[in-house]
Amino acid sequence: MTSPSERRLRKEFLELIKNPIPGVIIDGEKIEKNINEWNVTIIGAEGTIYQGETFELQFLFNDKYPFDSPSVVFIGKNIPEHSHIYSNGHICLSILSQDWTPALSVGAVCLSIRSMLSSATKKERPPDDLIYTKTCSKNPKKTKWFFHDDNV
Amino acid sequence: MLELFSFGRKKISNKLLIFIKTNTGQSLSLNLDPEWNISNVKKLVAPQLGLKSEEVKIIFAGKELEDNTRISECDLGQQSVLHAVKTKSRVNIESKTKRCLDVVYDDDNGNNVIDVASKPLSSTLVDLQLCGEERRHVSEKQSDKVKANFFVHCPECKKLCKGKLRVRCNICKESCFTVHRDPECWDDVLIPKKIQGHCESFEIACMSDEENGLPFAEFYFKCAEHVSGGEKDYAAPLNLIKMNLKEIGCLSCGDISEIVLVFPCDAGHVTCLECFKLYCTSRLQERQFISHENYGYTLSCPVGCENSFIQEIHHFKLLDKELYDRYQSFGAEEFVIQSGGVLCPFPNCGMGIIVDEDCNRVHCLNGCGFVFCKICKQGYHIGECLPETSAQNNSTLTEYSVNPNKVADSRWEQERIATKIAIQVTTKPCPKCRVATERAGGCMHMVCTRAGCNFDWCWVCQTEWTRDCMGSHWFG
Repeated sequence: MTSPSERRLRKEFLELIKNPIPGVIIDGEKIEKNINEWNVTIIGAEGTIYQGETFELQFLFNDKYPFDSPSVVFIGKNIPEHSHIYSNGHICLSILSQDWTPALSVGAVCLSIRSMLSSATKKERPPDDLIYTKTCSKNPKKTKWFFHDDNV
Repeated sequence: MLELFSFGRKKISNKLLIFIKTNTGQSLSLNLDPEWNISNVKKLVAPQLGLKSEEVKIIFAGKELEDNTRISECDLGQQSVLHAVKTKSRVNIESKTKRCLDVVYDDDNGNNVIDVASKPLSSTLVDLQLCGEERRHVSEKQSDKVKANFFVHCPECKKLCKGKLRVRCNICKESCFTVHRDPECWDDVLIPKKIQGHCESFEIACMSDEENGLPFAEFYFKCAEHVSGGEKDYAAPLNLIKMNLKEIGCLSCGDISEIVLVFPCDAGHVTCLECFKLYCTSRLQERQFISHENYGYTLSCPVGCENSFIQEIHHFKLLDKELYDRYQSFGAEEFVIQSGGVLCPFPNCGMGIIVDEDCNRVHCLNGCGFVFCKICKQGYHIGECLPETSAQNNSTLTEYSVNPNKVADSRWEQERIATKIAIQVTTKPCPKCRVATERAGGCMHMVCTRAGCNFDWCWVCQTEWTRDCMGSHWFG
């Protein structure tokens, strides 16, 4: 008997295979090996400042998913330069912490992140990037975020 | 041969031992065949009461049962209790009470409710989760499916069980009582004084202060999965647990389960029972239950809907014992803190103590016996409290000079002292609720994680977080 979190992740996986989200590619092979770790490739949407770029997101789930939010960070060499994305890959997005609800899903998070990227007009790091990346915990879920700007 | 065998077996295994109570204090026990009907029962009972069978009526779970009702329809279990009462003859009304009741009944649209027998409650009652419109459009085919199902937490079986709805008089608490209408929603059942009825438990009927003098029905539940332990064998109703008639998938795992928990929010979010337990476990481990002044220590809908607190906290009994014990102790602690009490600081004690407002000396009388100061939580002392530790009250510069790991390793006296020191060195109390808080990195803006406190404070100033803190030492 698999745990509820695994069953839920399997359902989400099958759903994303059946109805893929444009610009979001999931690494099925890796997921089949370990359902609790997903790597997702996000393709910069056409007509935005990230057009032609690809980014890699890493989702880590624990056995309390979906009651507990997944830990989501950008990994790899290309971390998008965005006012809500720190250079260590941490993302300042309310649905990844206090606004997370079990009704959200991997697909919903990918869509939000993609639309967050698409709405940016300027490539820049958050103002506190230097100090944050120096002092923060490795796990973005340990950070208590304050959301000052709901527009981006 | 085969037929004979199966017949024989049926006879042995299906007989129900039923107790019959009368309003004159007699009580009988009978072995009933589930295939019999109520008129058979009357024939058996009447001679023993010195009555004719037409003079007896049988009352069960708020209904007077019709002669042609089969025993198997009645949701009776082994050792259930039926009530047998003498039918009142309409000409022969002597007592004042009875006359008064009779008038009331005649007023009631001319229907003589008093003598109207019916099918048992269990077969007429439509599932309480269906409301207005849905109730009226129940097709024949569905009617079996929508029959009321109740779930209870049974203290005897120690698990979720199917429940049986029972009715008693709100005045004498006896169950020889007939209701004027079936309950139509959970409020009818859970909120007192919604449905009136007629009490025949004693020769003189119970009277209330209401205008028409009639008592109210009081609904309660029994476990349907063990042999009834008598009339005091109650079980707590779990009204949020329902048969998944609408076949809704769990919001968490997506499975469509037969039995689900529906949160009391407007959307009615659905989880399966396994995911409900998972939800409670994850919230409990983070101590994110809320102490609600009316409902107790509880949770709301996981989607974050407003006004969605679970009001019947027996739902948390579905948790495994260890977690339920933790739920209870957390709940008790929160209650003590909210009512201005303190928790005994002695390791492994934690007894909740309600304290005098103007006395700082606290004695853990019912727990470990430790005597401590209400303010600094150290052993009791006369005069001002000593500074808690040098590390805490001096500047933040010295705060990390002691390596907490080393301190914890050095256990020179007892482990508890090392732990206590580690906590003192690595934490600061929330300025509002005093909960020990560790800062594991990041900026100086702290937010108390204790459910219900959520105070914003500054790690440096140990006071409320202000714009000045943000300007001068946000990141240290």
